[in-house]
Amino acid sequence: METNTFPMGESVYQERLPNGLQVVLLPKPGFAQTFVTFSTHYGSIDRVFRTSASKDYTTVPDGIAHFLEHKMFESEAGDVFPEFSRYGASANAFTTFDLTSYLFSCTDNLHENLDLLLNFVQDPYFTDANVEKEKGIIGQEIQMYNDNPDARVFYELLKALYHEHPVRIEIAGTVESISHITKETLYECYDTFYHPGNMVLMAVGGFDPETVMGWIKDNQGKKTFKPIPVIDRKAFSEPPTVYAPEVTVNLAVSQPKCLIAWKDAVNEMSGPELLRRELALGVALDALFGRSSSAYQELIDEGLIDQGFSWEFERAETYGFAVIGGNTPDPRRLTDRVQQVIDEALQNGIGEAEFERCRKKALGRFLTTLDSPGYIARGYISYLFRGAQLLDTSTVLGEITVDEANREFRAYFDPSRRAVSIVRS
Amino acid sequence: MGEFLALQRGRLHVHILPTSQFRTRHLSLKLARPLTREHVTPTAIIPYLWPDGTSRLPSPLEFARYCDEQFGAAVRTNSGKRGPLQLAEVYASIPEESRSDEAKGVFENIVDLCLELVTDPMHDDHGFNPEFVKREKSLHQKRIASLTDDKIAYAMEQCTLHVCRGLPEGLPRLGYEEDIEGLTPQSLWTTYEQFLAESEVYLYVVGDIKQPDDVGQRLLDQFEKHLPEFRGSGEKTLIQPIPARKRNNGDPDFIVEREKVQQGKLNLGFKTGVSYGDEDYPALLVANGILGGFPHSKLFRNVREKASLAYYASSRLDGLSGLVAIQTGIEPGVMEQAREIILEQVEAMRKGDVTAEELTLTQGALTNQYKQVMDQPVSSLEIHFSGTLCGIDRDVETLMNNMNRVTVDDVVRVSDKLVLDTVYFLSSQEGETHGN
Repeated sequence: METNTFPMGESVYQERLPNGLQVVLLPKPGFAQTFVTFSTHYGSIDRVFRTSASKDYTTVPDGIAHFLEHKMFESEAGDVFPEFSRYGASANAFTTFDLTSYLFSCTDNLHENLDLLLNFVQDPYFTDANVEKEKGIIGQEIQMYNDNPDARVFYELLKALYHEHPVRIEIAGTVESISHITKETLYECYDTFYHPGNMVLMAVGGFDPETVMGWIKDNQGKKTFKPIPVIDRKAFSEPPTVYAPEVTVNLAVSQPKCLIAWKDAVNEMSGPELLRRELALGVALDALFGRSSSAYQELIDEGLIDQGFSWEFERAETYGFAVIGGNTPDPRRLTDRVQQVIDEALQNGIGEAEFERCRKKALGRFLTTLDSPGYIARGYISYLFRGAQLLDTSTVLGEITVDEANREFRAYFDPSRRAVSIVRS
Repeated sequence: MGEFLALQRGRLHVHILPTSQFRTRHLSLKLARPLTREHVTPTAIIPYLWPDGTSRLPSPLEFARYCDEQFGAAVRTNSGKRGPLQLAEVYASIPEESRSDEAKGVFENIVDLCLELVTDPMHDDHGFNPEFVKREKSLHQKRIASLTDDKIAYAMEQCTLHVCRGLPEGLPRLGYEEDIEGLTPQSLWTTYEQFLAESEVYLYVVGDIKQPDDVGQRLLDQFEKHLPEFRGSGEKTLIQPIPARKRNNGDPDFIVEREKVQQGKLNLGFKTGVSYGDEDYPALLVANGILGGFPHSKLFRNVREKASLAYYASSRLDGLSGLVAIQTGIEPGVMEQAREIILEQVEAMRKGDVTAEELTLTQGALTNQYKQVMDQPVSSLEIHFSGTLCGIDRDVETLMNNMNRVTVDDVVRVSDKLVLDTVYFLSSQEGETHGN
């Protein structure tokens, strides 16, 4: 077991087991709860792939990674959820563009709950009947998101930014696309992506790492797995330009919602570089558009935004974007004003005082997140699959300078890579 | 994690939970006064005017920059509601200064700032700054209007407000759009002064506080000095549950609202007459859990897993007013089928169709929820605050013990107290929806 201690005092215990499973343990002394995630590096964008066993690429129906996540909770003996309740744990799962994660949190019976989690995810059980039944449930989940203006404005934005990249497809797919899912396609995805060699088990909370590592090894040691498949995800041919500069959808909203975004010109990126870009540009955007920026206060005074106005920076292995926006009575004017702020910063640079203030704030906010085992477990895994280390955040925030941020900023905010998404009634 | 230290002087209540578990200190300041139709809207705006500036930091920008400089302390204000009370709240999370040299003195600074926000907001001889008032009136109008954007939350709120019609609990948390126009810097200042003089004031601190007694006394001194003399009724207003009398005509109200939605949102509101302080509260907590609190619950199993009608189907208990609210999202055409399945589940509980397994699973799941609260500083203080408002000094440990002693018979008995008051359905614009 390898141990790493990070500057904020967190110690991380890691080991790769003989079957390929990577185990990451982060003890939080004094905490009653333990939060555990069991995650595969497989999300909605992994839709065209092959393994060493097959010559040709397979294209699977949109939404299948998420569908698979739902179906894992059914075992031959029935529903898995009550088993977690029996041991006083609360279980859940989620699917993103690039990962699927099964999780529980508990305050007692950690050993039993760990076994439950490992066992149900490593024991798929799909039948024609239980696959059909799930289509009604997921159909309603899709409709729920279709009614949600925040979800809609975001998904439409991704459709506008990308030509080819499957990040432009909704994670849950559509009612039509999931109608093509069968138990056979589910098994195919499962066999490809749920090998322990493609997965990470992470625990954060009040436990002893040696003991917990022992339990996990015991559990995995009793099972046999096929050799680790070599997964070949078909590369995307994404041009640097946007698919559409502006998109609008109609929905019952009190006032329009408007997101303005720039896509990253770099398609492939992973490792420490990715975290560094995210933090440098995140601080830059906070300096320009955060609550303590002049622009934010001016836009409020001009009646163009409300307190929901925010920014977000996302960088994954094969895609990345920066988003700014929120509710506005006048999407076109808001877009112009945001562009004006960006243009000024491109010309004059972001000021050192503003940058420093926001850098320190980011550091303080990061410290706060370390009080939440759930946040750490989710964030850590997300960065780990992208080759980066969440707990390096404080170190990197200590290192980045306004010059670096300005360099990154100038390379990033190119008008040809901008798209605007609007939801209005 | 230990227990809250409670100190009181008149209408001032200070609660401190000393713990070295976290890297962040949390502070919450809450002012509470009974909700009235007359005051609800202007009072709801007050906490949003506070961060626009104080005498010392006389603009929103100066306020925001000052917070950032406190090692990124997050300070936000909120207009709240608990049962029949209206609240103005300030929340602050502050990096733990004992863990970082850069954060030294930050806690004191933020305590001072919170006190300033509440007792010394930026104003002139005539009241609040007219520019800020203009800005906040416009933002508040949008804040209220945007409540319709999240259809799930909107449907739940409409159902609950209808159940509480005619009562202070039935007034909307943010007030009414039509009241906003007539508000002036002077009228808002009058509302503010009244509110400050008539409120009970609660201050919560969770964090690495070394001498909580001394710190608590100091906070009491500091607040006493800056708050105006109390002019409230003096009567200790403790929250009581909304009574659950059987309806005269037996039938619940059925409300259909139509909107441009793809999914219908069905909500059922029940009164129970049982709240926090009641002997039956632990049993009601368990009953609500068996009905719809978890993935092993009746609603999830029957509406979602068996009938495949919905993605979410759950019930929620408001411990202050004693209301149980069920919510689900369905195809508009299957409303009657869904309502029938839901009511069958409630009926099953009344008839004693509750297994020992359902009971055990629910008690296990609730115990886990409460134990996790000990790791969540803000939830800890909110639970304690709810208890305080009901006059209950019961720690989480005791509640868990009582909850784990609940029997199937208790669950059946308390389920019989559920009186269905309102069925609310937010439906699509096409098609017909039949009533009863």
